[in-house]
Amino acid sequence: MDSLNMLLSGFGEAVSPLNLLIAALGAAIGTFVGVLPGLGPTSAIAILLPMTAVIAPDQGIIMMAGIYYGAMYGGSTTAILLNIPGETSSVPTCLDGYPLAKQGKAGAALGVAAIASFTAGLIGLVGLVFFAPLLADQALKFGPPEYFALMILALAVTVNMTGYSLVKSLIMGAFGFLVSFVGLGASSGVPRFDFGIDSWVGGIEMTSVLIGLFALTEVFKGIEEKRAAVKQEKIGRSYPSLAELRQTSGPMLRGGLIGFVLGLLPGCSPTVTSFLSYDVEKKISKNRARFGKGAIEGVAAPEAANNATSSAGFIPLLALGIPASPPLAVLLAGLMIYGMEPGPLLFEKNAGFVWTVIASMFIGNLFLLILNLPMVGLWAKLTKVPFQVMGPLILLISFIGSYSVRNSLFDVGVTLFFGALGYLFHKFHWPVIPFILCLVLGPMLETSFIQSVQISGGSLAIFVTHPISLTILVAAALLLAVSIVLMQRTKRRLHQEGVHELEIV
Amino acid sequence: MFGKKKKRTITGILLLAAAVALSGCSGARQSADNYPTKPIELVAPYSAGGGVDLVMRAVAEYLGKEWGQTITVVNKPGGGGAIGAQYALKEAPKDGYTVLAVNNSNTTMLTAGSKNPAVKLEDQIFGAMIAGDALAYAVKADAPWKDFKEFSDWVKQHPEQLTWTSVGAAGFSSFGVAEWLNAIGADFTKTRMVTSKGASDSVPKVAGGHAVLAVHTVGEMYAMAEAGKIRILAVQSPERSPLLPNVPTTAEQGLPDLAVKWWTGISFPKGTPDAVINKWQDALEKMEQDPVFIEQLRKIHLNPAYQNSEQFVKTINEETARSTEIAEKNGIRK
Repeated sequence: MDSLNMLLSGFGEAVSPLNLLIAALGAAIGTFVGVLPGLGPTSAIAILLPMTAVIAPDQGIIMMAGIYYGAMYGGSTTAILLNIPGETSSVPTCLDGYPLAKQGKAGAALGVAAIASFTAGLIGLVGLVFFAPLLADQALKFGPPEYFALMILALAVTVNMTGYSLVKSLIMGAFGFLVSFVGLGASSGVPRFDFGIDSWVGGIEMTSVLIGLFALTEVFKGIEEKRAAVKQEKIGRSYPSLAELRQTSGPMLRGGLIGFVLGLLPGCSPTVTSFLSYDVEKKISKNRARFGKGAIEGVAAPEAANNATSSAGFIPLLALGIPASPPLAVLLAGLMIYGMEPGPLLFEKNAGFVWTVIASMFIGNLFLLILNLPMVGLWAKLTKVPFQVMGPLILLISFIGSYSVRNSLFDVGVTLFFGALGYLFHKFHWPVIPFILCLVLGPMLETSFIQSVQISGGSLAIFVTHPISLTILVAAALLLAVSIVLMQRTKRRLHQEGVHELEIV
Repeated sequence: MFGKKKKRTITGILLLAAAVALSGCSGARQSADNYPTKPIELVAPYSAGGGVDLVMRAVAEYLGKEWGQTITVVNKPGGGGAIGAQYALKEAPKDGYTVLAVNNSNTTMLTAGSKNPAVKLEDQIFGAMIAGDALAYAVKADAPWKDFKEFSDWVKQHPEQLTWTSVGAAGFSSFGVAEWLNAIGADFTKTRMVTSKGASDSVPKVAGGHAVLAVHTVGEMYAMAEAGKIRILAVQSPERSPLLPNVPTTAEQGLPDLAVKWWTGISFPKGTPDAVINKWQDALEKMEQDPVFIEQLRKIHLNPAYQNSEQFVKTINEETARSTEIAEKNGIRK
């Protein structure tokens, strides 16, 4: 009941005109980048990080969260109309969505996708309201060794998130740590790894690295691919018929539940659940042959699943500090920039903030339904924006953004450097997420490790003699195993559907 | 129709971006007469919700209204206050639009604790002291000691079992703990320090039993003590704290000479125009008379403790000398 009260007061904050505007803006930008070729939620959040520093933390996070789940809605638009999955989690949506569009039923498919996303978003959020505080109730039991174990858990599940080889992921993670060490020591205050260069003493600005790795890299990729606008199918009416709704209500609920339950597992990405729910629908359908040729259930289930997973992903993010997907990893960086360290204590120390953000996520989902049902035709036209316009624009915003954080040209150089590096990583198939995560969590991992050995007087046994810490470490090992199995399955399915290039996110 | 809408969105984004960028480079050339002409960043080098942070939020609110400009409190915690200080004093432009919040930890005690401190006293101009508070000793709510005396005796017997939190080896709490341990004749070097990011990080550690003792200000620990999560054994001030009338002072419990107390104030990077500093000083002096501001401080359980630049520098010099003595005696000075 306590969390319901908190949620109500969160709503009180969330309906202030400014917060409503921010939520709407986030939802709109999210849909925009989800629809737009060449700009995903991860790069959008990274670019906007410095700008959101101007507004208050809760508004910044409301906006970034809006971008995140807005992009999930928007991604279905390109999948259905153009057969282009902006994110790997939209691949299953293409399978039946595009055939439907070719049959002139694009509107119905888009409508079902929007409604499925909304339903599942709500399932995820209700779950968030009830589950997160359960974890947070244990807050005081979490001391340094427990936090250290949590960080290990986060790293264990995310090394495998992108489905690359474990060794490559570990190397990238270690590289991320190295970069996070540069500057003044997190608990000693002594400069280190600065090579005597003045501008290194203040550390490498996380925002600049993120903008480089995500936004700039996207532009470089676009230049190489000579991206062109694609012809799209007609939309037709955008409201599904009653019969279609009845037909898809089951798949929506099942997809939402699968997405939510698996989404609670730290590190389980929307791609995993959207494929799983698609396959489940196909398996239990009486009419298996229709799948792949325009079965509307095949749109509803994966769309519901990936949105439920996205919402559920906020539970491990806020309550444990574990991001389930790259956009959430960048969001985690956003929280850290605001000094809001995610973890069980976040609910104790910043309760007002957390509940305002959660409440505005309900509102944001409502905005998205409005944006996506009557206005879907408008968004669809956006897919025609040529890369010649988008590319330079992204570059410009990126440079201004990274300069503005500390008013430092050095940071723009950092952005350029990591943009180039990110392009090479992509080209030679090195995973970026372990790098980002270690960069973001590095200082926290370091601090909790130092605190733990300070408490124990130098003994490492503290991590296994504390029951909670031991449990988390064991869970980390188990989850690593589970995620390897799930990831292999998802990889196999991606290959079966002829997708070899996309990173699994 | 839609093309137009998109164009407008893009123009909007560009304008916003340009505004952010331009605001960064125009300030230095402005004269101080009409200062401030753009938002000011007030860097609090500790985590949000701590004493320094809360005082600075009250200052930002008052000055924001007074000057008609936004003053943003930016939290840059870590390194015992050195990371934020480094940013404000070295990396940011010295045009009066980046101002640093200081307290004992990133000034006098940092200088006392280190032969080559990351932030030097001579790199900054001390504007004014704003607020002060007494130090308090807190343990877990169900800890076995009935009073501070009993606790002190236990520590004397078992110094190796005492874990206490501090923002750094040369942090505010370290000096409090060292002075106290010297007074009761316990071995400081046998106890274990656990680095924390400030009171909002240490108090949960003590409440959860991860560390034995937290030494912070009354104001920072009052709420958690009221909530029954921790128990305050002693307050280090001449009189009992009005907030905690039932908690005896350290002097009442046989330790009359403990002097470490907490304060916070404002400093500027060297090179900031004099006119800007004078403007701040005048405004801060006026602020300390303002009943609304005083009420703000009361709400966070602190008291106004205004000292102008001259008095402030004198206080800092005295405290540096005393702290250096404690630091040398206990091996804190590195």
